[in-house]
Amino acid sequence: MRELCDEAVSAALAAGASYADARIVSRRVQTVATRNRRVDRLDDVDSEGVGVRALVDGAWGFACDRRLSAEGARAAAARACAFAKAAPGGHRRALAPVAPAQGEYRTPVEKDPFEISLADKVEQCLRAEGAMEHEDVKVTSAFVRAQREHKAFVSSEGASVEQELVECGGGIDAMATRDGITQVRSHPSAHGGSSAQAGWEYVDSLALEREAPRVAEQAAALLRADACPSQITTIVVDAEQMELQVHESVGHPTELDRIYGTEAAYAGTSFLKPDDLGSLRYGSEHMNVTADPTTPGGLGTFAFDDEGVPARREPVVAEGILRGFLASRETAARIGSGSGGSMRADGWSRMPLVRMTNLHLEPGEGTLEELIAGVDDGVFLQTNKSWSIDDKRLNFQFGTQIAWEIKLGELGRMLRDATYTGQTPVFWGSLDAVAGPEEWRLHGLTNCGKGQPGQHAHVSHGTAPARFRNVQVGFRS
Amino acid sequence: MSEALELAERALRVAEGDEALAFVSSERSGLARFARSEVHQPTLIENEVVELQIVRDGRVGLAVANRTDEDGLRALAARAREAADSAPADPDFPGLAPKTEAPAVEGYDEATAQLSPEEQARLAAAAIDASDLDLYGFFTSALTELAIASSTGLAVSQAMTDACVFALAAVDGASGHSEQTSWRVGEIDPAEAARAAVAKAERTRGAIELEPGSYAAVLEPYAFAELLMYFAYDAFGALGLLEERSYAAGRLGEKVFDERLSVSDDGLDPRGLPKAFDFEGSPKQRVDLVENGVFRDVVWDRSTAKRAGGGRETTGHAPPSSLRRWGPLPFSLSVAGGEAGSAEELAQLVGDGIYVSRLHYLSIVNPREGVITGMTRDGTFRIRGGRIADPLVNLRFTVAMPELLAELPGLTREPVLVNEASYYDERYPNGVLVPAAATARFDVTGTGSTPGV
Repeated sequence: MRELCDEAVSAALAAGASYADARIVSRRVQTVATRNRRVDRLDDVDSEGVGVRALVDGAWGFACDRRLSAEGARAAAARACAFAKAAPGGHRRALAPVAPAQGEYRTPVEKDPFEISLADKVEQCLRAEGAMEHEDVKVTSAFVRAQREHKAFVSSEGASVEQELVECGGGIDAMATRDGITQVRSHPSAHGGSSAQAGWEYVDSLALEREAPRVAEQAAALLRADACPSQITTIVVDAEQMELQVHESVGHPTELDRIYGTEAAYAGTSFLKPDDLGSLRYGSEHMNVTADPTTPGGLGTFAFDDEGVPARREPVVAEGILRGFLASRETAARIGSGSGGSMRADGWSRMPLVRMTNLHLEPGEGTLEELIAGVDDGVFLQTNKSWSIDDKRLNFQFGTQIAWEIKLGELGRMLRDATYTGQTPVFWGSLDAVAGPEEWRLHGLTNCGKGQPGQHAHVSHGTAPARFRNVQVGFRS
Repeated sequence: MSEALELAERALRVAEGDEALAFVSSERSGLARFARSEVHQPTLIENEVVELQIVRDGRVGLAVANRTDEDGLRALAARAREAADSAPADPDFPGLAPKTEAPAVEGYDEATAQLSPEEQARLAAAAIDASDLDLYGFFTSALTELAIASSTGLAVSQAMTDACVFALAAVDGASGHSEQTSWRVGEIDPAEAARAAVAKAERTRGAIELEPGSYAAVLEPYAFAELLMYFAYDAFGALGLLEERSYAAGRLGEKVFDERLSVSDDGLDPRGLPKAFDFEGSPKQRVDLVENGVFRDVVWDRSTAKRAGGGRETTGHAPPSSLRRWGPLPFSLSVAGGEAGSAEELAQLVGDGIYVSRLHYLSIVNPREGVITGMTRDGTFRIRGGRIADPLVNLRFTVAMPELLAELPGLTREPVLVNEASYYDERYPNGVLVPAAATARFDVTGTGSTPGV
């Protein structure tokens, strides 16, 4: 693989590039999904190719070729350089210096997911579905996935690395319907379950079959639950929903490419400015957020990012103050700090972008029960159902699959159709407690979209349940 | 025979099964993405993907690869066979699509197919050069070829082109957007799009806040199209109907929308991005979804048609394999135009309300009730006295689509093709033909940031 990358980089330099890098990616993904006890999807997908990024007279060009041959590598390099030369604009791009990386990395795996037969994977889904049988549950679904990505990276500065990343995941959903009301419950997360960089032992740990009866019973119970009333109140948010809260209102706003406007037309920008670093109060003193591509099991875990920058744990928010951005070598050079380390591409046919790796809300102390015990009147919210946030990442609205009233420190009646909304720094400023390490969980999502052409990133967040005061639940009346 | 169909036939020949279907998708595209009036992420893609579906003893498996030499295809066939052998027999499998002729459609333009990277960059530059403000967006064009061959004798292929310029003119406190999409690059004027974006942006300076509440509104085609697409995922597909989880459940045949509203899905319409067949190889058909406010039908594929029984047949709306959980999807929505000559005329009909240019980050809050939330962006205005007036900050809205569509005081005459492809995964050009619309009810539930970057 690395020889072909060398070939591409040499061709790009010969075509006039001042800097070039090449990535070869070979990815295999198996997906098994069942729906109402039928196999809905049984796919085995292979994709391979080379992507070449070239900097010519300060302008980027990127091109790719599916042929893993010297001819394909050279063709991609030539086209990347030609596109760079054609690009309009007064280009002046610099890259933060970084020592040329050399090395290899492989996800530690106990059970190779591709050694588990597809038939066993189907059986695992059908068993979980069978355990969701309930008279009000009209649709059940289960899915498991396995991915192996082997990639090599070579740059004209001498970086040469090879990594093999293995992911597994799964999830179940139950949809109940009665009298014109439809409700859904999921485990361990909605919108595609949860994944981790690990072997099949991770899927086993999700206990899909064991959790299935609870999921079905809660979906059915929601049909008879009261709608969550609109109010300004205290909320306790479970760890899974906190994953998305961190993702949308901390992860994306701290991406330095968004702050510099390069995502303005699509994903949006950020309410943060480069000068906010080190001074902006993002939230209360309980808010500590860390970017950590070294987290075991994280979907954003690697030894080197897609620019060859070594993985390093770094603070993003410490005691409520903004302390770091997610950066590339280019944006790091522009802000004059760090060396990047958050550049990731979706496969071989996309240009690397600044992406989250693993972004964690650090734990505080105490249990979920203790968080709830500190609430006289409020709502406990669990499992994401809907999500939306504005283009500067300020105004958000989340819906959850299920909620419970909190009265005098204890959970009360179940509530359906709960939503909450806020403005990012105001909301985080109202954070008054995060549960402790014993409640902290790592969640992995595989549907983070960004870029044009679009790219999916796989990202993990470690979070614990958290409590926020004076939050708008439902809609302002 | 096209190269894509030839590849599909080659894949079919190495398949070992009772039945087999090979689907090929090839892409040659360029996207010159720019920010602050400078191309910063130019991407050229060349790829060719083969999906092989094999049926053995009623068991169905699928494998996908982009290695298309003989060894690659044999490996693909072996994996598809293993997948099929791993599945339990599926008594509900509708079988592969029979041999049919795909309808003749437009949608291919030689000039668009032949655009070089240099020309794609030049068209991006034409937009940038025409803008007095910092410009963000892209120019893209592509040649995409789809082909399906199956053991039932099906052999269909289509070459399609698409081109799109997207222009966001933005500075601190002001932003405006415009875009143009066509399968003929000659119909795209990047400079005109840029100038329209700048003109809109200039009107957004000094945006003020608005109290949440229910307002009458004018929705530009970009905003109306996106709301309709999010509603359509569940409401206009047969799976949501059969599973009783969509707004369509129990409402077919009822008048539930304003009588001015007629919606179809028409992949054959040359004004859109035409398609000859779906991902099962079934011919595309026009489906009247809403006629004068009456909810008439949803779109179907072979699986949902078999499940429904009663002689129901596919309408040619099978989704790609990766989206199968959604069931059949309307990729070519088309809303009939009304009588208004312009969005400004719609503002006169509204009298007092808000004007919405474009939306951001929609999410389905309640699929059964068609409740959608999101933000407005790049041009939200107050309408006072029938005129588009003060610029507004970006607004959070949470709307029940049936309520929004229940009273439509007017629609503009000429539908506009709005691009709905975000170019994730393999390229599949698609868009919505939609006019601007006035609605009596658009629920604002919060406020966000000012326009601009």
